[in-house]
Amino acid sequence: MTTIQLPSPGAISDTIEARPESDNYLTHTRGILSWIFTLDHKRIGVMYMWSVLGAFLLGGTFALLLRTELLTPGPTITDSADTYNQWFTLHGAIMVFLVIIPSIPAALGNIIMPIMLGAKDVAFPRLNLFSYYLWVTGAILCIVSLSMGGFDTGWTFYTPYSTTTTAGGVIPVLTAAFVLGFSSIFTGLNFIVTVHKLRPPGMTWFRMPLFLWSIYATAIIQVLATPVLGITLLLLIVERTVNIGIFNPSMGGDPVLYQHFFWFYSHPAVYIMILPAMGIISDIIAINSHRAIFGYRFIAFSSIAIAMFSFIVWGHHMFTSGQSALMNTLFSAISFSVAIPSAVKVFNWIATLYKGSVSLTTPMWYALAFLFLFTIGGLTGLHLATLSTDVHLHDTYFVVAHFHYVMMGSALIGMIGGLHHWWPKIFGRMYDQRLGTIACWIIFIGFNVTFFTQFILGSQGMPRRYYDYQPEFQIYHVISTIGSYIMAVGFTLTAITLFGSLVNGKKAPANPWGGRSLEWQCASPPPFDNFAKAPRVGDCYDFTVVHWDPKIGGYRVDESNDPEVNPAAQGTKAAH
Amino acid sequence: MSMTHQILAHAASQVSALAAYAQTSTAAPTAPTFWMPIGASTISQGVDYTLDVINWICYVSFALVIGLMVWFVIKYRHRTGDKFRTDYPHHNTPLEITWSVIPTIIVIGIFVVGFRSYLDIYTAPKNAFDIKVTAQKWAWSFQYPNGAISDDLYVPAGRPVRLVLRSSDVLHALYIPDFRVKRDIVPGRYTYAWFQCDFPTGQPGKSPRDPNAKTVTGMEDPAQAHRLSCAEYCGTGHSKMNRYVYVLDEASFAQWMIDQSQWMDKIPEEELYFKAGPKIYARCQQCHSIDGALGIGPSWKGIVERVKAYPFVGEGKEYGTWEDYVRTSVLIPGKYVVPTYGNVMPSFKGQLNDKAIDAVIAYMQQLDKFDPKNGKLKPEFDPATGMKK
Repeated sequence: MTTIQLPSPGAISDTIEARPESDNYLTHTRGILSWIFTLDHKRIGVMYMWSVLGAFLLGGTFALLLRTELLTPGPTITDSADTYNQWFTLHGAIMVFLVIIPSIPAALGNIIMPIMLGAKDVAFPRLNLFSYYLWVTGAILCIVSLSMGGFDTGWTFYTPYSTTTTAGGVIPVLTAAFVLGFSSIFTGLNFIVTVHKLRPPGMTWFRMPLFLWSIYATAIIQVLATPVLGITLLLLIVERTVNIGIFNPSMGGDPVLYQHFFWFYSHPAVYIMILPAMGIISDIIAINSHRAIFGYRFIAFSSIAIAMFSFIVWGHHMFTSGQSALMNTLFSAISFSVAIPSAVKVFNWIATLYKGSVSLTTPMWYALAFLFLFTIGGLTGLHLATLSTDVHLHDTYFVVAHFHYVMMGSALIGMIGGLHHWWPKIFGRMYDQRLGTIACWIIFIGFNVTFFTQFILGSQGMPRRYYDYQPEFQIYHVISTIGSYIMAVGFTLTAITLFGSLVNGKKAPANPWGGRSLEWQCASPPPFDNFAKAPRVGDCYDFTVVHWDPKIGGYRVDESNDPEVNPAAQGTKAAH
Repeated sequence: MSMTHQILAHAASQVSALAAYAQTSTAAPTAPTFWMPIGASTISQGVDYTLDVINWICYVSFALVIGLMVWFVIKYRHRTGDKFRTDYPHHNTPLEITWSVIPTIIVIGIFVVGFRSYLDIYTAPKNAFDIKVTAQKWAWSFQYPNGAISDDLYVPAGRPVRLVLRSSDVLHALYIPDFRVKRDIVPGRYTYAWFQCDFPTGQPGKSPRDPNAKTVTGMEDPAQAHRLSCAEYCGTGHSKMNRYVYVLDEASFAQWMIDQSQWMDKIPEEELYFKAGPKIYARCQQCHSIDGALGIGPSWKGIVERVKAYPFVGEGKEYGTWEDYVRTSVLIPGKYVVPTYGNVMPSFKGQLNDKAIDAVIAYMQQLDKFDPKNGKLKPEFDPATGMKK
């Protein structure tokens, strides 16, 4: 029988602060090899983070090229429609497969999740490193495909265009997406096992921070949905190389079957992108409101509900595809069901602000931006789930605007918010919050200028993936392009803020925002093995024990009144 | 004329003008709004109504959510070092159930409204007029019951029209924003779209995209014609697959069909190259230039000499004559693919008859008489005779 050693009041922070300051996971071992072969989840997460940010820079560059090309009808910076088609395909494929899907789970999740859970590492550290190198392989294959003639299929690889196009890079990029799929599956598998098996004593399911719930729900989708993408892409490769008719009607295949397979993965994939961001936002809002999250269980269950519903709504991408009217009707009805847990989450976040103590830190500004953009992204989903309006709006810029509000305005803004939230933890440096907040505002404004305009463009009838367009649409395109430049300025400022902090940032306290979950109780940056002994797990949304300490410029958790820690204090703690 | 008389006459003319305005406004498509383009089909009002309902639900929900957010952030603003509030609620089950149930009721309502207008979109009336549509990289072809073929879509006003859609290569989608109609065109199967437009647009004298075109009566503004686009990505020329829909009253439409089916018959063989050639070339110019510029397919400039020089053209060889090679390339494009170009050209079998192919061949022979920019006869030639002015 094992007994659990309960530390004395305040012991955790005391022991941690007593450690030698220089020994943390960044400095524990040195040399490039110690990074390449590391099994430490934090280092793998950091490598993921830099890689994903690099891919984001690349994908963003293509976005700017696209927007610049669309400044005028006809040729602007390239006179080849094929070049334009390659740009938007690359932009989409990079942003989806290399950036958004791995951004939160693989980068931030890897760094934070085990610490938040109270574990020393993920369940399978070698698998974790392997999944990172699969990501690298996928990224390299993407670049290889460019040198082999690129690909112009759109990120959706719709057949029979993708099996008949003469662009030479289609097979390498399909292989890349296949390999990246496995990277994602392994991460998901790792996280599911970690959450099930490595929770320390006291970390019950309903004591898990909501970020963990959302990462867990995400991992389930990753494991269940991604294999379908894998086999679909494999079939596509087989069709293209050995001419077996699976999807191409001229060989007896069915192109609509491909769409079913593709969206059976890619719709749940939307939730792989958005759920972790929702988790981050739940925690940022609760911590910066310094109060318990409102309706914890409703939020936790709504994550699982969204994960489940996400598997049965894929047909709403295919209302005009030739799918039967009955199927369309069913898919439309089921699609609305996703709206409800999403709405519940938004209401809970708003209610968390109510009677809170709202600190407007940089991460909090990102969370508020997320609320604004996600509300628009979610509400415009109603137009697209509705049958008759979707027929008009499908495959227009309205759809482009909608999914950018969800995938960029919500998922990526959530990721950037999370980056600002945990940056002091990861690197042990505070960034200039004023600069960070200004950057957040610039991105927010630029985003709305870019993408709100595209709602109008779409409902006025401008189809997507158009190199050339009618002159009457030009004014909208010009506004949208200006917005994208504003965003570029915002992201540059963000980069300056964050990288600047590594050079001359103040040393970060262990708990700069007043968090209660476990990662705020170990030092910044965390020590190599996270916790010297199993940490004591309290209620991670009970902020009554968190106090501002001007001496350390951060917050301190004082549990001396907690009866679990100090039996003498029985009854003094307010019961909720 | 007395003063009173004048005022009365003026008033009367105002009233009749107003009445005329009221009449035309009922007999015209719905005006464009901030969100939607003009609505010209019988289903467009139902779709627009649905969109309005959803929009208003969105405006109200958005204002509520963001209003509360801003209010709470301002009201409960906290500055570092202040004491935290502790009087907050942790959860409130009745409230949480309420805000789960209300959105459920709202989305069921939206679903029902959208479903009802969708039934109208989906089901074509039985008496619909059928037009066959072939989409290919990167052109449209519309075929009418009497065999007439056109590049722009012509439809009768006041009658349901059913489009029978087929693709000869990859996925396309037929999209007419003003009619709120969209349908994917899937190779290997037939799909349908239908609409009814009650408002004639008239008929252009020439293609409205030609800046020199003079439009005929009833078509004062070419913008009145409805745009038709490809909405499903199909490659290089995807954004060039834009044509127009012309809505003609029943009588003009019947006459137009007859004229269209016979337009080439009336042209004497020796005038084909300049009367029919440019019109047919308009469908080829997405891929084939006539000035030697690189394209998706080989340029037509110098094509006659090049083809004659091919080792397999000539008596006793695979192609007896160079004309024979051109004809085969139009009907069975994959038979001989010019090296470095992809095998991407769709077949024009059933769309171009022998006379049309003759026109193409003659056009190739007389290429220097045509303006490389638009493929039409150069201005120094008389469009009636083809001779130098």
